[in-house]
Amino acid sequence: MATRAEFLERIRREVRRTPGLFPASAAERPPRPAEARAAVRRQMAERWPEALERFRQEFERVNGLFHRAAGLEEVAGVIRDLAREKDAHELITWASAELGLDLRGSLESQGLSIVAAPADGRDDARGRYREAAARAPIGVTGADFALAETGTLILLSGPGRPHSTSLLPDTHVAIFGKDRLLETLEQVGIMLEALHLDAARSMSGSVVSFITGPSRTADIELTLTRGVHGPKEVHAIFVEAR
Amino acid sequence: MSNQASTKPFAERAAVALRDTFLQEALTIATTKFIGLRKDSFAGFPQGEALRDRARAIKEATLQRLDDYLERLADNVERLGGHVHWATTGDEARETILRLCRDRRVKMAVKSKSMATEEIELNDALEQAGVVPVETDLGEYIIQLAHEKPSHIIAPAIHKTKGQVADLFSREVGQRLPADPEVLTAVARKELRQKFLQADMGITGANFAVADTGTIVLVTNEGNGRMVTSLPRIHVAVMGIEKVIPSMTDLMVFLAILARSATGQKLSVYTTLVRGPRQAREVEGPEEFHLILMDNGRSRQIAGELREALYCLRCGACLNVCPVYRQIGGHAYGHTYPGPIGILLTAMLKGDRAVKELAHASSLCGACHEVCPVRIDIPRMLIELRHRLDRERIAPLAERLVFKTFRRLLTSPALFRLSVALGRVAQRPFVRNGRLRSLPLVFAKWTRTRDLPPVATQTFTQRWKGLR
Repeated sequence: MATRAEFLERIRREVRRTPGLFPASAAERPPRPAEARAAVRRQMAERWPEALERFRQEFERVNGLFHRAAGLEEVAGVIRDLAREKDAHELITWASAELGLDLRGSLESQGLSIVAAPADGRDDARGRYREAAARAPIGVTGADFALAETGTLILLSGPGRPHSTSLLPDTHVAIFGKDRLLETLEQVGIMLEALHLDAARSMSGSVVSFITGPSRTADIELTLTRGVHGPKEVHAIFVEAR
Repeated sequence: MSNQASTKPFAERAAVALRDTFLQEALTIATTKFIGLRKDSFAGFPQGEALRDRARAIKEATLQRLDDYLERLADNVERLGGHVHWATTGDEARETILRLCRDRRVKMAVKSKSMATEEIELNDALEQAGVVPVETDLGEYIIQLAHEKPSHIIAPAIHKTKGQVADLFSREVGQRLPADPEVLTAVARKELRQKFLQADMGITGANFAVADTGTIVLVTNEGNGRMVTSLPRIHVAVMGIEKVIPSMTDLMVFLAILARSATGQKLSVYTTLVRGPRQAREVEGPEEFHLILMDNGRSRQIAGELREALYCLRCGACLNVCPVYRQIGGHAYGHTYPGPIGILLTAMLKGDRAVKELAHASSLCGACHEVCPVRIDIPRMLIELRHRLDRERIAPLAERLVFKTFRRLLTSPALFRLSVALGRVAQRPFVRNGRLRSLPLVFAKWTRTRDLPPVATQTFTQRWKGLR
């Protein structure tokens, strides 16, 4: 096994042997990502209605199911109806603080049991959550970004926001407001560059998941089949009051 | 398996594929479908062409400072608590994983689709070491059960019928299953879900690795990539050194064209950006993260003739459009990477000798160059490869003699005119209905599968004179 120094020295030697095929540079990063992010936010504060419409179209094109809710009560209503339709009695969710709303009050009274992700990763809490995640038919999360041009939900993992919530259940429900809408992948790039420079975030091992519709495969005779490993259904609930 | 396949000469492997009627039909349907999906996707995406140029420039720029970017990637992975391993050869990459399995008492490893682990034939090695490797991409799972190799970079089991898949799955679960893709997919979901939750190790490749942030990027449609990176206690990612890119901004350029080129999707269902092991206070994620940076012959080409092949994103678009791949499929190539780019990658990883025959498995029509998202000039490199095989005397003597003779004739006007005149006389007994259908001696091989137009009664120059 080569050491790091030996390995890199060999690469360096080869790199120096050639000027390359043509003069080229990588994509230009935003010089001040935080400012670029603020500019995107200002832009989207104006443009979100168009972005929402585009998001809905693209999301439905990839077989996502879109809902619009006026406020918390309606969100709970959508989830309650879904649970009824699926005959589901148990839900897993992100921690309430991460979700930005507490569903427990309005859903537990309907006979649904809710397991929220623990806000820290102590071993016993972790084990309990994993068991619930492996069992629960519905998982409820927020969405950090909703990308209009591709109908993609983008979720950052972290304390209180495990990825299994959006992965193990048959049905994934993501709740978001207008401040999460983005129009282009380029804007996502700006957000991720800015995120990376946030001191608090840069040390966290967060996973960023781009989710574009339900899990799918066409590996058997090119027949499109949904829900091979991840959710069979993905719902996005847009909350107007946010 | 792949080594076994490659012991037969390429022509025989190709002949087997050409006689396989199911394979012929499956290949036509699949490749035609992928071509259409890709075309439609780019048709509605006017900025696509400019993005392809940018993606190409990013790949080139990264190679120009590959040492720096690898160093930055490694620093960031380590800063986050991950471990970086430097594997000069495929053997070293494999040994590193086997050692990790031994030290951590790993019994089962779940894998998401990875060409890098195919390249080092990791599954066989794991099995021999007493570790159960489980492929979790549905296509890979099918071919693992069938003890075969992938036949397409992104659709590994396109050569299998649903009946064959039903047989394989029935044997696995001990119950007769119908040949219904929906049912079979549900069975795989159930079988593999248990394995995701039980496995000690998750093994992945990487579609990209972002140097700035120490992020590994996995693109999947099924969600197995997410399972494999989040549920087992150890995550090992194996990547070729050319997969590193500088920044998140660069990543967005690639994401915009990768899925469009592969399946015509705007984005694949899941794009997963993973950084290091689980951090304090996180509920999930592996306790350990290992990144294996693998050279295995790549660095020799940084200043070599195959440099451009290091841009490859493994999207499979060049396979679908290749008139040779469309006829013979992936297995006939006999190596991990099939198709036009596969010939170049095989030469890169295994040396020129490995592609002595494959270098000619291309009509040089240029379709691969046209669809490549990063515009790799595959035909140019194939011609260079053929030239080198000749120069290094790896090509068979007969082939070298033919080309040598041909060059003599073409570079001397007098000799050329003489040979044309001789040919016109010599061909007489063999012309049938205006075609040369069967020639004797060394020329027989050529006319066995194709006709030749005869040498014209008048040369162009003679006719030109007549016209005036």
